[in-house]
Amino acid sequence: MTTDAAAIGGMGHSVKRKEDARFLRGKGRYIDDIKLPGMLYMDIVRSPYAHANIKSIDASKALALPGVLAVITGKDLDAAGLAWMPTLMSDKQMVLPVDRVVYQAQEVAAVVATERYIAADGVALVEVDYEPLPPVIDPFKALEPDAPLVRPDREAQTNHIWHWESGDKARTDQLFNEAEVTVKEHIYLPRIHVSSIETCGCVASFDKVSGKLTVYMTTQAPHAIRTVYSLVTGIQEHKIRIVSPDIGGGFGGKVPVYPGYVIASVASIQTGLPVKWIEDRSENLQADSFARDYHITAELAAKNDGTMQALRVKTLADHGAFDAAANPSKFPAGLFSIITGSYRLDAAHVEVDGVYTNKPSGGVAYRCSFRVTEAVHTIERMVDTLAQKLQRDPAAVRMQNFIQPDAFPYKSATGWEYDSGNYPAALQKAMEKIDYAGLRREQAEKRARGELMGIGISTFTEIVGAGPSHTFDILGIKMFDSCEIRVHPTGSAIVRIGVQTQGQGHETTFAQIVAEELGLPVENITVEHGDTDTAPYGLGTYASRSTPTAGAATAVAARKIRDKAKKLAGHLLEVSPDDVEWVDYHFQVKGVPGRSVTMKDIAFAAYTNFPPDLEAGLEAVDYYDPPNLTFPFGAYICVVDIDRGTGMVKIRRFVAVDDCGNIINPMIVDGQIHGGLTMGMAPALFEAITYDENGNMQQSNFMDYLLPTAMETPVWETDKTTTPSPHHPFGAKGVGESATVGAPPAIANAVVDALSHLGVTHLDIPITPWKVYQILQEHGAAES
Amino acid sequence: MHFEGTQQIKASQRAIFEFLLDPNKVASCAPGFISMEILAPDHFKPTIGIGVGAVKAKFTLDVQLQDVREPTHAAMKGHGVAAGSAVDMVASVDLSPVSDAETTMNWIADVTVSGTIASVGARLLDSTAQKQITKFFDCFRQKLEQPAQ
Repeated sequence: MTTDAAAIGGMGHSVKRKEDARFLRGKGRYIDDIKLPGMLYMDIVRSPYAHANIKSIDASKALALPGVLAVITGKDLDAAGLAWMPTLMSDKQMVLPVDRVVYQAQEVAAVVATERYIAADGVALVEVDYEPLPPVIDPFKALEPDAPLVRPDREAQTNHIWHWESGDKARTDQLFNEAEVTVKEHIYLPRIHVSSIETCGCVASFDKVSGKLTVYMTTQAPHAIRTVYSLVTGIQEHKIRIVSPDIGGGFGGKVPVYPGYVIASVASIQTGLPVKWIEDRSENLQADSFARDYHITAELAAKNDGTMQALRVKTLADHGAFDAAANPSKFPAGLFSIITGSYRLDAAHVEVDGVYTNKPSGGVAYRCSFRVTEAVHTIERMVDTLAQKLQRDPAAVRMQNFIQPDAFPYKSATGWEYDSGNYPAALQKAMEKIDYAGLRREQAEKRARGELMGIGISTFTEIVGAGPSHTFDILGIKMFDSCEIRVHPTGSAIVRIGVQTQGQGHETTFAQIVAEELGLPVENITVEHGDTDTAPYGLGTYASRSTPTAGAATAVAARKIRDKAKKLAGHLLEVSPDDVEWVDYHFQVKGVPGRSVTMKDIAFAAYTNFPPDLEAGLEAVDYYDPPNLTFPFGAYICVVDIDRGTGMVKIRRFVAVDDCGNIINPMIVDGQIHGGLTMGMAPALFEAITYDENGNMQQSNFMDYLLPTAMETPVWETDKTTTPSPHHPFGAKGVGESATVGAPPAIANAVVDALSHLGVTHLDIPITPWKVYQILQEHGAAES
Repeated sequence: MHFEGTQQIKASQRAIFEFLLDPNKVASCAPGFISMEILAPDHFKPTIGIGVGAVKAKFTLDVQLQDVREPTHAAMKGHGVAAGSAVDMVASVDLSPVSDAETTMNWIADVTVSGTIASVGARLLDSTAQKQITKFFDCFRQKLEQPAQ
C-alpha cells in the first residue's frame, strides 16, 4: 500500500491556504465585523500636548449630547484602582491620566455613546484645561541634569530607565587596545510604526448575570492578556474570555495591552452593554507603540588581513514615556546581543541604556524577534565599514570571517548557542544567482563613466523561537507553547494551538504538520486558535516563535497520538504493537506491506473497537518547552542605481537566499519572505517617525508616512538553502521575520557602496532622495 | 514658531495704540474670526476657525493683555484648545512715531501649535502660520489707514 503524499499535503507541500477561502471572498471576521445586540461605541479624547498638567476635565457638554451615556476619566479609573496598569517590562503605564499627560495623542478620557458618530461628537465637547509643561523629545537631552522629568511617579527621579550589558568588557577593551585596525560608526535606527492594515480595537462584553467578561480583541497573545486582565482587575480568570478573531496584521504592534482595551472593558462593566472601540488611522499611527529608535555607536576591531576580532557597542534606547516593550522579562534590550551576527569574534561587549522621553511607548518588536533588526543592521553595516577601510571586497571579508559549518553548535561571544548554519553556502548561492563578479565589473565601468551603482550584501543570523523556560518568560509565564489534537472517529481532526495567526497561515501549516505526522489528509484537519475558552494556554505569535514552539508542540502531540495509534494498529492487525511499523503514512506489520491499516481505520477503532486495556478516544496535548532558540539565516544581495539628478535610489535587483531549516509550506514561506522584504525595504528607503520640538508627531497619516506600494516594490528573487535545526522535532526554524531583519542593511550597504568612492562610509536609514541628493551636491556629483 | 515683522502705518501713534486696546477692532483682524466674549477690558475670548491643510478646528482663545505701556508697547498672551489641538501664543507690539501721521509698528509673535493640527498639518504648519499672522498685522494697517467713516 502506498499513499499519495500530495493528497496528504504534509511537510514540504505548497498547500493552498485554507484561510484564503474566506479572506479572498471578503468573509474574514475582524473585530469591526463583530456586532453584538445593544452594542455601544467608544471614542477617545486625546492630548494635544506632549507634556502638560491636567487642571480640570469638564464633561458636562458631552454628557448633555443626546446619545452620550458616559464619559470616563482617569479619576473614575483611579477610584477603581485602574488608572495605571503594568507593562510587560516591569514598568507601569497610564490607562487614563489623573493629572498629567506625557505624550501627544495620549488617551485623556473616553466617551461612550449609542452611535459611533455621537461618540466622536462627544469627544469634541469634552473640555480639558491643560497647563503645558516643557517636553523632552531627544533622549540624549533627557539624560541631562536639568531635563524635564517624564516620570515623577517613579522612585528614581531620572529619565534613565535601566542599563543592560552583555559580553566580556575587559577582553573586548584589551582586543581594541591591541587592534591593528578599528572602525567606528554612529548608527541611528529611527522610530517606525508597524502600520498594519487593521488598526487596534476591541468589543468588550460583560454579562452581568454570569459575571463573565468577553473581550474580542486585536491581540497577538490572547492567553497572556487574559492572565494580565485577571491579575489587574481581580476578576477570576475563568470569568474572562479573550477572543482574537481574524487579525489584519500584527507585526508586534498587537502584543502590548493598549489603554483602549481596558477602558472599553470598564465601560462594558459599567453599562452592562457591549462596547466597541476601534482606532482610526491617525490614532493608530500617533499613539500605538513604536519600534526601533536605537541610537547606536559601534566599533569593530580587526587585523590588517581582515580577520574580525572584537565588537564594542553602546546604545541609547528611546522608550518613550513608558517602558511598554514586549520583550521577555529578562531582556530589556531584547535579543540585541545577537549583534555578533554570522561572524567569529573573540570578544564582544554590548551596552544599552533605556531612556524615557515625552513620546508614546517604544520597543515593539516590529516583525523582528526582539531588537534583532537593530543588531543585524549594526553588524552588517560594520562589516562593510571594515571592508571599505581595508579596501577589500565585502563578500570576501564575510567569507573570511564566517562561523564555519563544522563549528556548530557555536557559542557566540555574547553567550548564545547557535543551533546550526552554513553561511558560506548561502552567500555563495546568492553570489552565483546574481552574478556578483559580473556586477562588480559593471560597477567599475559605470563608475568610470560617472554613473552611480552599488552592490550591498547582508549575511544575517536571526535568533527566534523564544523560548526555553530556563531563560524566557513574560511576566513570569514561561515561554513554552502548546497544541491539543483530537482525532474524530471518521478520521478527521481538530487541532487547537496556543499561538495565534495574524496572516501567517497557521490554519494551513499547522494542519500540514498533523497531516505529516498522522497521515490524515490536510483538508480533513481543522485548526483553531485565538479563543482562550477553547485553545490550550500559549504565549502567542510574535518573534517568529509559532513554528519553533507551538509547531513543535503540534508535532509532539501528533506523535503521542501515533504512539497510541500504534497500539490500536497492533490490535487491529492482531500482532504485538512491537511488530507494527509506521511506513509511508500508515501502519503495517513489519516486513509485510500487504498487512496494513490507515490512521482513518485506527481512528474509527479508537471509538468502536478498542482493546480492553486501552482507553477510548484518540487525542493528545503537548506543552512544548524548546531546549534552545533557533537561528535562521540568509544571504541577501541588493543592486541599486542612483539618479544623480534626483538622488532617487532604485533597487534594480534583490536576491534573497534564506535558510529557515525544514519548510512546512514553500509557498507560504515564499510569501512571508516577499512581504518581509517589502517591509524591510520600507524603513531602509521611506519610513521614519519624527517629532517637532514640542513633541508633535510629524507623520500621523499615510500622506506623511510613506508605506511602499507595488509601485515602489521591486521584483524579489528568492532562493533557499536548507540547514535543519537539530533540536526542533521536524527541523524547522521559523521564517516570519528573516526578510524584514535582513533586507535593510543590504539596501543601505548598496547605497553606501555606490557612494563609497566619494568618501561616504555610512548613511542612516531611511535613505531618502533628499539625503542622497545633498551628499551628491556636497561632493560635486549631482547632475544639474 | 517665532515670527516678527514691521509695518509702516500712516496713522498717529496714539490712534494705533487706541486701536490695539480695542478688542473688537483687533479681533476683527483675526483670520477666521467668528465671535467674541469680552470679560474685562484686558481679557477676552475670541472664537476663531483655524485650518491647516485638510484639518480645520474652531478654537476659543483666552486672551489676556499684558505689559501695556501707553503709548509705545502692548503685549498679549493667548491660549486655546480645540478637539485634539491646542494653540499657545505670546505677541507684542512696539510703536515708534515717524511723524504725527506715520508710525512704525514692530511686532513679534511666538506661537506653539500642538496636537492634531500640528501633527496632521506638519508640512504646512510654518507657512500657514506665517501667512495668517502676517495677514493679521497687515490688517491693522489697512483698517487704520482707511478714511474715517
